[in-house]
Amino acid sequence: MKSAVITILGGLLLAGGAHAEDLGDRDEGRKLASQCRTCHGLDGYAQIPIAPHIGGEPASYIRAQLTAFRDGTREHEMMSIVAKMLSDQQIADLAAWYSGHRVQVALTQDPSAAPEQCVACHGADGLHVAEDVPNLAGEANIYIDTQLKAFRNGKRQHDIMTPMAQSLSDSEIREIADWYADIGLEIELVE
Amino acid sequence: MMYQKMLTSLLLGTMLVGPAMAQDNMDKLTNMQKTDATFTFVDQEGDRAESLKKIAEQINLPDGFEASLYAVVPDARSMAMAPQGTVLFAGTRKDKVWSIVDRDRDRVADQVKDFAPSITFDIPNGPCFSPDGFLYIAERNRVLVFPAAEFFFEGPDPAVGVVVAQGELVPEAEESFNHTARVCDIGPDGKLYISLGQPYNVQPIEKIEMYDEIGIGGIIRINTDGTGREVYTRGVRNSVGQDFNPATGELWWTDNQVDGMGDDIPPGELNRQTAAGQHFGFPWTNSRVEIVSEADAPRPEGVEFVEPQLELTAHAADLGMRFYHDKSFPEEYHGGIFWAQHGSWNRTTPVGARVMFTALDPETGDAMGAQVFADGWLDESTGEYRGRPMDIEFLPDGSMLVSDDFAGAIWRIAYNPKPAE
Repeated sequence: MKSAVITILGGLLLAGGAHAEDLGDRDEGRKLASQCRTCHGLDGYAQIPIAPHIGGEPASYIRAQLTAFRDGTREHEMMSIVAKMLSDQQIADLAAWYSGHRVQVALTQDPSAAPEQCVACHGADGLHVAEDVPNLAGEANIYIDTQLKAFRNGKRQHDIMTPMAQSLSDSEIREIADWYADIGLEIELVE
Repeated sequence: MMYQKMLTSLLLGTMLVGPAMAQDNMDKLTNMQKTDATFTFVDQEGDRAESLKKIAEQINLPDGFEASLYAVVPDARSMAMAPQGTVLFAGTRKDKVWSIVDRDRDRVADQVKDFAPSITFDIPNGPCFSPDGFLYIAERNRVLVFPAAEFFFEGPDPAVGVVVAQGELVPEAEESFNHTARVCDIGPDGKLYISLGQPYNVQPIEKIEMYDEIGIGGIIRINTDGTGREVYTRGVRNSVGQDFNPATGELWWTDNQVDGMGDDIPPGELNRQTAAGQHFGFPWTNSRVEIVSEADAPRPEGVEFVEPQLELTAHAADLGMRFYHDKSFPEEYHGGIFWAQHGSWNRTTPVGARVMFTALDPETGDAMGAQVFADGWLDESTGEYRGRPMDIEFLPDGSMLVSDDFAGAIWRIAYNPKPAE
């Protein structure tokens, strides 16, 4: 069964890779990031609990989420407003800026205790193992909890995450969230 | 089917211990039993404290006032001082409530640790006390009560009761992360008043009626045993600050206004409520700015929208507020309102990150006008925040505490005029 999940991911990966990765201009992205930094930081280390850390995320994931906020397929009270005015190029620039920072994680627990249904994509240490997958290391547990519940109740949709989240109870969701929130995260700003 | 089965077996291996334990803990605590939970202590010395002290030096105040670092408190949000002044509680938008103690009374906290570590909290932003020492904590979707919290906080297993069970504050489908930082207060009638922000920028038209009935985008009041729920305040967008005027018993509250309409509208609000059930206009209006047109959604019948007392700098994010009813500040502040402006998140030029004040007109009881009491948390040369004030509380000596969830600190502002030479 595990191999089936990986096969599905493989398909997604290829689709993601079909976009050219180097379209974004990091200098332009850095300028645009002045609109993002109050919540996400200039280096992508979140400044408020409701915002995720985005420094060092795969560019494909940042692009996909900003595009989804802009097009209305993912909704958030704040992100839907700021993403609405972004062009494809600006989204690529922001993805290039934020994905380019260096991420270090510190996992203090035994990795074999990691939530097994998550590690194939998110790693035991919360670093993405595949394209178009977010890092989870060091996110506020409530952020991860909220996203899993959004997948479960349909507010947020994803081929893999939707059925995954639908199989989880509230306390199982919180256990997963606590695992990844507990991992130390440092982001080194790369100019 | 097989997929489900596989997951279940994995869960058995890795996760069932946790949730079972968490539920056991609630059961144990409600029966006054012990758990094996341990405290997390926050270091009050060292580099972190030193860099925060440098921020305190940047705070600008009226003559005779001084700012200092009171405590290092990660993610500090709404605050509640215990009635006997022994311990301060601060909520967070994460999973902790902090207890903050100044045992030697030198006006600097010497112990900060998590409150009730045996309990799994979910956005416990809003602590509030009853005069007889019951601590209420309003979470995203649950309300708990801790009897005699100012004594029981010393141990990891305080007595706890459930006022509103998980999932019964708002329907689970309406849960979000943003706009779920609840605040609470015990009113002069002994009831519990809880703000319920609506989760959108502007709620979809098809949800307006349902939200109005539940009190989402409003303030509800309930008896302290959770019964008798009613919508006390209607037409709110997202209020994260409220207090009762001790002189009149009227509820005042701040509100955060619609984003995405430009840098300078709509204005922020400070509101005065004089009767149960009053409607303050949202989502049809923010102050006098129309948001949802009557053509798209008819206004509720038989209500007149109450105008705000003050229209405030747009997007400055007016949050926690308190009436000043102590003595140590100069007389011009007595009976007035202090409130925290958290600062804007996407205005072209950032504004806010201040503590504001308004006096009340002695004749009408209306707010007389907003003035800046404290600023300097925003570096205007770079547009970067040094800190973001979130709530106001007072120590028993009448000095002010300002929580800051950006810097992870609680600041103290005291009136210490220099003697004339």
